[in-house]
Amino acid sequence: MIDSILKSIDKIPAFPATIQKVSELLHDDDYAVADVVNVIKYDQAVAANILKISNSAYFGARQQIKTIHEAVVYLGQQQLIRAVQTAGISKFYRKGGIGYVSQSRDLWEHSVAVALMSQILSRRIQAKEDPILYTAALLHDVGKIIMGEYVQGSFEQIMNRVKLVGCSFLEAEEDIIGINHADLGGRIAARWNFPSEIRDAIAYHHRPDLLMEEDKTNAWIVYLSDQTCLMTGLDGGVDSLAYKGLEAVMAHFSLRAIDLEKSFILLTDELEKAKDLRHIL
Amino acid sequence: MGISDLKISDNSGDILVTYALGSCICVAIYDPKVKVGGLLHFMLPDSNLDAVKAKATPAMFADTGIPLLFKSCYACGADKKRMVVKVAGGASILDDTNYFRIGQKNITAVRKIFWRNNVMIDGEDTGKHFNRTVRLDLSSGRCIIKSSDGTLKDL
Repeated sequence: MIDSILKSIDKIPAFPATIQKVSELLHDDDYAVADVVNVIKYDQAVAANILKISNSAYFGARQQIKTIHEAVVYLGQQQLIRAVQTAGISKFYRKGGIGYVSQSRDLWEHSVAVALMSQILSRRIQAKEDPILYTAALLHDVGKIIMGEYVQGSFEQIMNRVKLVGCSFLEAEEDIIGINHADLGGRIAARWNFPSEIRDAIAYHHRPDLLMEEDKTNAWIVYLSDQTCLMTGLDGGVDSLAYKGLEAVMAHFSLRAIDLEKSFILLTDELEKAKDLRHIL
Repeated sequence: MGISDLKISDNSGDILVTYALGSCICVAIYDPKVKVGGLLHFMLPDSNLDAVKAKATPAMFADTGIPLLFKSCYACGADKKRMVVKVAGGASILDDTNYFRIGQKNITAVRKIFWRNNVMIDGEDTGKHFNRTVRLDLSSGRCIIKSSDGTLKDL
């Protein structure tokens, strides 16, 4: 089973070059609007999605955006990176994941919710938003796209293990299938040549405590964003809340329970504003 | 219906449904005589957290949502004495040394509110680590809980 799973990694389409190119261009504060427009224009799938989502209240553009040029001008650096990432990454969630969820779009909606929550928590914890964290959060469950069919095939065994042994869904995946969805996601990220801060945040999104790297902030924030979304029921997956709770996360970020309760409320508001992002599939 | 939402009905042909409760809680109430009932899907225990939000979205909190659920059903002819009350949800993360016991807090909040108001809970399926979907059939008052671990329960 594990061999065929690892082989499926090679079948995952390449990560959209558009996202990479736009991110590089925007990295320079002096970017030329025309250059960015040119890159986006030639990727029809991304271009169409950009127009769909850039008018979303989440990005807060003050006027209606009708062209790619307007999107680049009005969204500005930070928002534009996020819009391009969301538009490009969504294509990986068009199918797959069945086994965890009953329809692929549920996994996408969960991913968007975790990405929004990662920014809410980042504002609270690091006093800023962070596009790299956003990407990691949007992709944290990318391993489920491949794992879904295997989980579906072994669902009873996995669920029995969770219930009888009392282990987490993640551990049960590893015991029964031979690999867990977080580890698999990390391998997909490696195939896409992602930097370690994204790779690790994906691979360790359920166990940031096991990460040896010095800067584990992204992994911990993705972990906490995921957990809070699971608690609000924003996943609808079969794995539900059967994941390990790590108390250390609170001290790690000097958070109190009330901070997380407030972040639930903020998330509700942002999900409403970000409807177009969630419904892009 | 969605999170922080409330629906009532006096149409016996209706089935009210709310999905994927997580740590949130669904309160289902039903008056069998007049066949009036409703569901509340609340997210947090205490509206003191955000008074503005509580005013705009009372169904978000236990202490503002539950009274509104009952009052809305009374307005359709239901009576407190006949009301059948079911509670589901409040799941939590595994073996968490309870760093953020929102599921547990929600369960406690519901029990406290009902205790204070002399309301008996007739059926309860709470805690554990699974998502639940709740269906309330307005013709019979049957309340079916579907859990993401595959089990089906008639509360």
